[in-house]
Amino acid sequence: MKERTLLVVVLVTALLVVAGIWVAQNVNLMPAEASTRAALVDQLFRAMLGLAAVIFLLVEGLLLFSVLRFRQPRGDDGDALPVHGNRALEIVWTLIPALIVIVIGFYSFRVLAASEIREENPLVVNVRSRQFAWTFEYPGTSVISSDLHLPVGRQVRFLITSDDVIHSFWVPEFRVKRDATPGQMAELLVTPTREGTYPVRCAELCGVGHAAMGLSSRVIVESDEAFQAWLTQAAALPADPIEAGRTLFKRYGCPACHALADAGAAGVVGPALDSLADPNGPHAHAHGGMDIRALVEQSVLDPSAAIAPGFADGLMPKDFGTRIPANELAILVDYLVAQK
Amino acid sequence: MTTATPALSPRRYFGWSTDHKVIGVQYLVTSFFFFLVGGAMAGMIRTQLLAPDSTLVSAEAFNRLSTNHGSVMLFLWILPVLAGLGNYLVPLQIGARDMAFPRLNALSFWLLVPAGLLMLASFFVGAAEAGWTAYVPLSISGPDGQTLWALSVILLGTSSMMGSINFVTTIFTMRAEGLTFWRLPLFSWSMLATSILVLTATPVLTAGLALIAMDRLVGTLFFSVPAGGDPILWQNLFWFYSHPAVYIMVLPAMGAISEIFPVFARKPVFGYRMIAVSSLAISLLGLTVWAHHMFTSGMDPRLRVPYMISTMIIAVPTGVKIFSWLATIWGGKIRLDTPMLFALGFISMFLIGGITGVFLAAIPVDLHVHDTYFVVAHLHFVLFGGSVSGAYAALYYWYPKITGRRFDERLGKVHFAANFIGTNLAYLPMFLAGLLGMPRRVVNYDPRFTELNQLASLGAFLLAVSVLPLLYNMIVSWVNGPKAGDNPWRARTLEWQGSSPPPVHNFDQPPVVTEGPYDYGEAEARSMMPSPAAAGD
Repeated sequence: MKERTLLVVVLVTALLVVAGIWVAQNVNLMPAEASTRAALVDQLFRAMLGLAAVIFLLVEGLLLFSVLRFRQPRGDDGDALPVHGNRALEIVWTLIPALIVIVIGFYSFRVLAASEIREENPLVVNVRSRQFAWTFEYPGTSVISSDLHLPVGRQVRFLITSDDVIHSFWVPEFRVKRDATPGQMAELLVTPTREGTYPVRCAELCGVGHAAMGLSSRVIVESDEAFQAWLTQAAALPADPIEAGRTLFKRYGCPACHALADAGAAGVVGPALDSLADPNGPHAHAHGGMDIRALVEQSVLDPSAAIAPGFADGLMPKDFGTRIPANELAILVDYLVAQK
Repeated sequence: MTTATPALSPRRYFGWSTDHKVIGVQYLVTSFFFFLVGGAMAGMIRTQLLAPDSTLVSAEAFNRLSTNHGSVMLFLWILPVLAGLGNYLVPLQIGARDMAFPRLNALSFWLLVPAGLLMLASFFVGAAEAGWTAYVPLSISGPDGQTLWALSVILLGTSSMMGSINFVTTIFTMRAEGLTFWRLPLFSWSMLATSILVLTATPVLTAGLALIAMDRLVGTLFFSVPAGGDPILWQNLFWFYSHPAVYIMVLPAMGAISEIFPVFARKPVFGYRMIAVSSLAISLLGLTVWAHHMFTSGMDPRLRVPYMISTMIIAVPTGVKIFSWLATIWGGKIRLDTPMLFALGFISMFLIGGITGVFLAAIPVDLHVHDTYFVVAHLHFVLFGGSVSGAYAALYYWYPKITGRRFDERLGKVHFAANFIGTNLAYLPMFLAGLLGMPRRVVNYDPRFTELNQLASLGAFLLAVSVLPLLYNMIVSWVNGPKAGDNPWRARTLEWQGSSPPPVHNFDQPPVVTEGPYDYGEAEARSMMPSPAAAGD
């Protein structure tokens, strides 16, 4: 009898281990692996998933087996054999889980340390967040972009902050996020390894535009040549005023909150900006005798001066006047009033 | 059993009473009302999320709904329903006539009512919309309802602290003769561990909320960034309470199912002392883990690893409980009545919440899944699959004690099946959505997550429907159910040794306890009988 019990225990353990290994090797629940960190995190995650599968199957298996096997027969009112405990068993099921979490803890620490190693000559990108948009600045250039362009294979040192409330910069394909906290500068190291276009999410509830903020920006990982070409092109404004205006509209993050067909923008936090100048259009109410160009400029510089019906005051940042140079503001306003 | 006792008329449940049994029922019924309110909010949230770009609910309304869904469910449903069970059961389990401070007890309940109404009333002035976590500086701006929210939670915290002082005092000073700590029923053990945790952690949250309320009302600048305030400070204050709060919400449920397994397996609790001690271990360790909610924030990176280790270690006493429960039913004579089904459901679903908690503790994994639907799934497996299953199990198990009636077993099983399927259907897809990149608290989402969200909504709707048989069963059986007898489950803990429902004075003679609470299969003669009740029959 004792030998049989031992045999069953060994057999079940072996089966569970095989199942765990199978799960660790074959079950992939993660999105694309696009950074060195992602590869490390996924190894850890898969190892944990294998262990989790073993524990899950063991506990649910014991539960189901007990329920099926140890039922009170009809008409039997008696109690079962009293067993109050078993010291050896209790020590085993205290020590083994302790051992497992120590191993996972140690492994996690190794992965954490490995994913935060500094490499030489990183590309520095300033991540600025505000309600409700990301802007990415490339120090040493004049480039400010609402899409994040990165060269593949070079470590990026993100310096992350917020102008208002807490946001959280998250690229699922990089397997990492970092909170953007006002008054603080957070550092995050990522080495992209796979070319492609991935979403930038906002992971911390930041207000009514929180969902929109997580759907508006992208990260484009590209070859170094393509990245350099983009950087050069992005630093200059196109000669055509409409194209230049469209570029500025995106550069300053306007699409996160405003819809504008010409710029492919679909934000819903603020009013749509199509046909601003049409005296019979949806913005006719706001004209109020005011020159449309002056009204648009005023709305960029001092958003509280005139509030479109159906929208709350205080949603739009009030500091665009200090962030947009006068010549660019003129181009942007011209572009907006030119929309039919 | 007690129909002839005039003091037990139903009217007593509708006013000020210092009887712990009345207060217990008042807690249970009030919290259940708020459960329905919080559930209605969840229903609106899940309906909105049926489509990625749905505009059924505005972004503003969505944030208000999700903030208050979380707050109502935690502060006005799970905490008070467990407090209600504790109120009803602890004095009966330890052979006391009432709680140590009956008037304080009534006051803690009567704070809950205005606090709950305050939270709901906030919808008329623009409800809180900064999440139940109320992170600053978002929660400092925002509508007036945010202030009402803070005041409401301050009241609820105060109520909870008063209740805990009462439980600790009652358990320490009012146990019957012979009822040593090693004979204390495991539910009372869990209420003791919980109360110690409440008394340590809740004042910190309450103080933090007072700071927020002052920033909003009288212009202090505790959390103003331009004035040098630190947003991370709030996160520390908040999580110092709100992580232990998870244990506050799950330990009593664990205590309840620890009572149920021996009764429905007809076997002593396996490793009684280990289960009792592990409750204390969880509450002490639970005080050292809060910053694992802040791995992605601006906390000092060197502090992350200690918090990871302490968090993972909690898996050990939790594992001890799970294995002890399994060993309790192993080799038993199992009866699958409704309380037992919910207790088994607790293990099978809480297990998923527990395992995924270790994933969240592992810093590199957390940096990916923090603030995503993975967390939403995890916390609902712990709090809905765990705490609420435990509360359901307890409601069914002690229903005959409280009402003297039997509930309809078939309806109970229907409720269990719908709840079990609904919970897994609602929350399992959320793990995948989170891993693949869906943040939490979003009114719209990337269309790639549509199918997962539709499955989750389907599960949520099933959960909504599953409450109907429960409600019907609880109400109709109280009026029309067959008489249950004093001890229909043939349980051996003290609360079942008197009449059901208990007489006003609980025990006419102080009971004397001479053996442990779970000696099933031991000598048939009960030496733990209280002296026969003179009142009632």
